[in-house]
Amino acid sequence: MPDTATTSRATMPSILGMPRWLAFSLLTILVWGAWGAVSKVASEGVDANTNQILFTFGLLPLIAIVWRSPRISAGGSGRRVGIAWAFLTGILGGTGNIAFFRALVMGGKASVVSPVTALFPLVTVILAVTLLHERVGTAQKIGLALALVAIYLLSM
Amino acid sequence: MHLAQGWMWFAAIALVFWGITGVTQKLATNKISSELSFIWFADAMIAISVILALFVPIQWHVRPLILWAAIAGGTLNGLGALTSFAALESGGKASVVISLISLYPLVTVGFAVTVLHERLTLAQGVGVGLALAAAILLSLEPQPPKSKA
Repeated sequence: MPDTATTSRATMPSILGMPRWLAFSLLTILVWGAWGAVSKVASEGVDANTNQILFTFGLLPLIAIVWRSPRISAGGSGRRVGIAWAFLTGILGGTGNIAFFRALVMGGKASVVSPVTALFPLVTVILAVTLLHERVGTAQKIGLALALVAIYLLSM
Repeated sequence: MHLAQGWMWFAAIALVFWGITGVTQKLATNKISSELSFIWFADAMIAISVILALFVPIQWHVRPLILWAAIAGGTLNGLGALTSFAALESGGKASVVISLISLYPLVTVGFAVTVLHERLTLAQGVGVGLALAAAILLSLEPQPPKSKA
């Protein structure tokens, strides 16, 4: 049964004629793509651990803005579980960041390291299908295959 | 790609850890809002940084350009985390949303070409085209049946 938080956003109107999830996904591509470029600049003058600390300072303005949202108080009986998963996401994401920064500092080119690390859907899809029992349609399967080939070619 | 290169192992670690977050993000937004998910995601980042500051040698003298680039990186990445939480909360499947947003190197490559004046190899050019085609195919996900009120 979907909970209140999920249902409220899922039923919101589309953005520019696109499903909301697609619009948010495209925005993610834009800002993470810019992050990849900015990381190239930062990694030329700072080690991976310090980079992660400075990175966290960059999160603070967003925390201040999001904290004002009334939706942070939403959530039903699964609130604690959801918070635990979100916190684990941050731990895994932060550790992944350090490894990413370390790869750049060790001499990996950002234009290569970024596409290579972007192969992470391989892990997500395997886990989503096996643990979340999600199903992927034919068009999406072809899209997934093309995406993985594209990411590989971009890393060459 | 040469797996023997040291940096590749760290890239592989990032790949695996970020791949797992694709699922944990979805599990989080199944229970709580994307905004609350982001707050706790960011809290975990703060916890990691506190641990690093306490137990790992830190480079305190950083040039202003590098300093602001690193901080801006955090803001951009955090904004991406927030929008990816929102994409998952909006009903996108984890397997599709995470695959789609993994095309973000397209923007990085675009930036490198237009601003840094790097040149794409033939393989990279083909990769860009395939990635765009993949994004279109991934967006063709059929809408789930709407429940009757």
